[in-house]
Amino acid sequence: MSIQFKTIKQLGKMLNNKEISHVELIQETFSLIKKNNHLNAFVTLNEQESLKKAEILDKSPSSSSLAGIPIAQKDLFCTKDLRTTCGSNMLSNFIPPYSATVIENLENAGCISVGKTNMDEFAMGSSNETSFYGNVQNPWGLNLVPGGSSGGSAAAVAAGIVPAASGTDTGGSIRQPASLCGITGLKPTYGRISRWGMIAFASSLDQAGPMARTAEDCALLLNEMCSHDEKDTTSLDEKIPDFTKNINSSIEGLKIGLVKEFDLSKLDTDVVKVFEESKKHYESLGAKFVEVSLPNISLSVPTYYVVAPAECSSNLSRFDGVKFGKRCENPKDLEELYIKTRSEGFGDEVKRRILIGSYVLSAGFYDAYYKKAQQVRRLIKNDFDSAFKNVDVIMSPTTRGAAFEAGSKGDDPIQMYLEDLFTIPANLAGLPAMSIPNGMIEKKPIGLQLIGNFLDESTLLRAAHNYQITTDWHLKTPEVMS
Amino acid sequence: MDKKTVATIAYLSRLSLNEKNEDKITDDLENIIKFVDQLNAAETDNIEPLASPLEKTAKTRPDKITAENRKEIFLERSPKSNEDYFLVPRVVE
Amino acid sequence: MSWETVIGLEIHVQLSTSSKLFSGGSTAFGAEPNTHVDLIDLGLPGVLPVANRGAFHKAIRFGLATNSIINQTSTFDRKNYFYPDLPKGYQITQMALPIVGKGFIKIEVDGQEKIINITRAHLEEDAGKSIHDLFDGETGVDLNRAGTPLLEIVSEPEISNAKEAVAYFKAIRQIVTFLDICDGNMAQGSMRCDVNVSVKKSGETKLGTRAEIKNINSFKFIEKAINYEIDRQIKILESGDSVVQETRLYDSIKNETRSMRSKEEANDYRYFPCPDLLPVVISDDELKEIRDNLPELPDEKEKRYVEESKLDYSEAKIIASSKTMANMFEEACAKTKDSKLIANWLVGDISALLNKDNIDLEESKLTSNNFAMLIERISDKTISGKIAKSVLEEVWETGDDVDKIIESKGLVQIQDESLLETIAQNIIDNNPSQVEAYRGGKDKLFGFFVGQVMKETQGKANPQSVNEILKKLLS
Repeated sequence: MSIQFKTIKQLGKMLNNKEISHVELIQETFSLIKKNNHLNAFVTLNEQESLKKAEILDKSPSSSSLAGIPIAQKDLFCTKDLRTTCGSNMLSNFIPPYSATVIENLENAGCISVGKTNMDEFAMGSSNETSFYGNVQNPWGLNLVPGGSSGGSAAAVAAGIVPAASGTDTGGSIRQPASLCGITGLKPTYGRISRWGMIAFASSLDQAGPMARTAEDCALLLNEMCSHDEKDTTSLDEKIPDFTKNINSSIEGLKIGLVKEFDLSKLDTDVVKVFEESKKHYESLGAKFVEVSLPNISLSVPTYYVVAPAECSSNLSRFDGVKFGKRCENPKDLEELYIKTRSEGFGDEVKRRILIGSYVLSAGFYDAYYKKAQQVRRLIKNDFDSAFKNVDVIMSPTTRGAAFEAGSKGDDPIQMYLEDLFTIPANLAGLPAMSIPNGMIEKKPIGLQLIGNFLDESTLLRAAHNYQITTDWHLKTPEVMS
Repeated sequence: MDKKTVATIAYLSRLSLNEKNEDKITDDLENIIKFVDQLNAAETDNIEPLASPLEKTAKTRPDKITAENRKEIFLERSPKSNEDYFLVPRVVE
Repeated sequence: MSWETVIGLEIHVQLSTSSKLFSGGSTAFGAEPNTHVDLIDLGLPGVLPVANRGAFHKAIRFGLATNSIINQTSTFDRKNYFYPDLPKGYQITQMALPIVGKGFIKIEVDGQEKIINITRAHLEEDAGKSIHDLFDGETGVDLNRAGTPLLEIVSEPEISNAKEAVAYFKAIRQIVTFLDICDGNMAQGSMRCDVNVSVKKSGETKLGTRAEIKNINSFKFIEKAINYEIDRQIKILESGDSVVQETRLYDSIKNETRSMRSKEEANDYRYFPCPDLLPVVISDDELKEIRDNLPELPDEKEKRYVEESKLDYSEAKIIASSKTMANMFEEACAKTKDSKLIANWLVGDISALLNKDNIDLEESKLTSNNFAMLIERISDKTISGKIAKSVLEEVWETGDDVDKIIESKGLVQIQDESLLETIAQNIIDNNPSQVEAYRGGKDKLFGFFVGQVMKETQGKANPQSVNEILKKLLS
């Protein structure tokens, strides 16, 4: 029985019913990976270790719901003794001496990390076109981008190679690729998942999250990924609920907010049509739509493009060729060591963001840019706090359109930045948000975004799950090698 | 965004610009800064800057030694080192 | 033309916590290179800092002892620059809201008291060490020290000359050692100082351009560096030129300051709040506990020694001025109640030995235990005061155990009265003419008999017993 396109739940059942052994599952996973090499979704594979773990599970089975489930890990998470590149030349030879907390959490729950997925370099990008290891192919069409920065993870799940992958989301890097690849992705409340071992891009925005075929699977993964971690003082110590509980409860009376300032009329008619259909469907499930106003939302993208580069320009200073990562050949002095190593090690987008970051933090510009952006960020957060007094979730399209062709955004970085228009606000406010497939445009999938209140992933999952048990967009699959 | 400013920031960031990419990067930076200048329109008097989306204070740790000696693996996995030190080109103070 | 000098000091104090400011790496000095490096200290991708509460408590002690404002909520910022011993490419420091705010201390120079205001004292992490001279054409980086907590104490620019600067530095050193927040070991780099010096015409209100002399770690060098710099600046201004605002290093061999490579000036540190660290809050209860348990400072000790131990003011001042000596005094007093005796030895013989060798008490081989033992043996009359002096000298040279020295050299005092009587009687019998002369009125000859008994007993006879016995036998 084929494992391709199966959910975690389905695979779990197959394993329990002994329809497939753990070793067979892993072997077939690697077969699928290799057959779909052209997607370029993986940077490093972990075959030997994965088979070893599967063998152990076949000998002494575990009752955990995630036992033996193959998972692809975004190459932004440190994995002990397994190369971690962050999509960059700078870390092409980096072997971490420790694992990220979220990796440990998933592996302790029984998941088998089959490999590290390709991504935009240092998580900076929305199309997986900035990776040193080459573009990732969207399984839905030749030369289409999968979205970014978690492009490899999204492609691997969309192609049915693995039921789940870990991703990270700083400005939309889980949700946007989920939308463009037709899968489900969730970014939890900031602080739910420990950032220990997550290579930092923008510390006050980064969050890890699950990418899978269903909201239910995301809930299963979220249960294990979340933890309070003493090693990350920005991780929440609020009690972690069972995210699978109440997922089936009705959404009768659910109040869904529509953002006045998201002028959807500016989008393609196809996109608007898909969105309106989803609205109608939610109404048929008993939800009520309310208009909410987020007056400062139009400043989200410029705010993000001050705060994120500022933090990343500092976070990436540790890459200096001294203690880890790449070093240039034969530097004649210290200056050359730094300048040559960093100029050779980083790609153009990363360099752009470091330069912007240094600029907005520099003497004379700090108040006008960085401080100003942080003030606007508070305004945006306050807008959400007010809105959530009247609604349970906020809904919007995840992206402006379906997957675009690689290279089509041209040379203008700002065009790429505007891809994250709908997703960025939730990162600025630290709120949970997810994307679920809700339509097809010219045979390409597109997603619906749900934003929840602080700590309210449960309502998001319930709203998403109710949609998925009454629609079949999330069941559609691309034509890929099997 | 003049050439001198770009050169200063590039140096602060220890990045080099060559004739090939200098112009493009200068243009890009100019456009991005113009783009973020929209922020000036916002009314932010008396608004406290938001450094973190969490409204909480730091957890701290007690003063205890918890680290093990991992010298060998750190030096082994570094770009250049001898058995005791990380090595860089001679620094003149 | 008369000139005024304006000096400000930034003193970096290494806090004596066991672990680092943001990681569980050990701060112990002298370890093999790169053996006290935690993942966090290395700045590996993905690591995160967690603040050490003990470091905060030590910083707060300083604030309380210097009449300073304590900011119960304080935050951390990043100072961004590149250097091989700065693993993350930024230092975590407190720029905007430091743990300790404005305060002041009193200094004394040539008998005059002066108040020096403190602008602030903040926590920050130390960098590692760059070793330049060991490897051909290369610099070695040791990250053991990276992440060690520093308290940077910034004075107002209210110091007027080198003597005041040294007095201020000494006063800060005394405070931090007495508070048990720093071991004050200058040779090991536990305290380092950056000095800002500028000159202006007398009476002029506008401050002159200042130069910063970095990283001085001895009292002597502070004084020399400042005096050189003042002369240098005056010469420049008198010739009509201007002083350049820059960072300079003090060369102790040539006794001059010289400009550091000018790239320093190109450094824009781009401070911004560290997004990995939320504000640290110290509760009222915590603050009260620290305040209630604040170690005694020199002033308080002086007072207590005078009132309770009945010491002279001058004795008390000397003993209270050094943490090591104060500890030694207090530990010995706990074992042997004779505080006067103890004080005499500290202020007398021991201070003399310290002067002779030009060292501080903590650099000597004399331990508190050993000193207390010496006093006990004098007190219980095992040895005489005179013998004790020679024992002390032996201890000073070798650090050996007092009891071991007494035993191995057979220095135990002879107290046996009958034995002493026998010896004394012998001497009297053998020196009839001196006896007659003494009994005839030559009182000074008493010393001769005492000397003979001492010679016979190799100095080990109990002097008081000898006196009493001879008086009895010669009468």
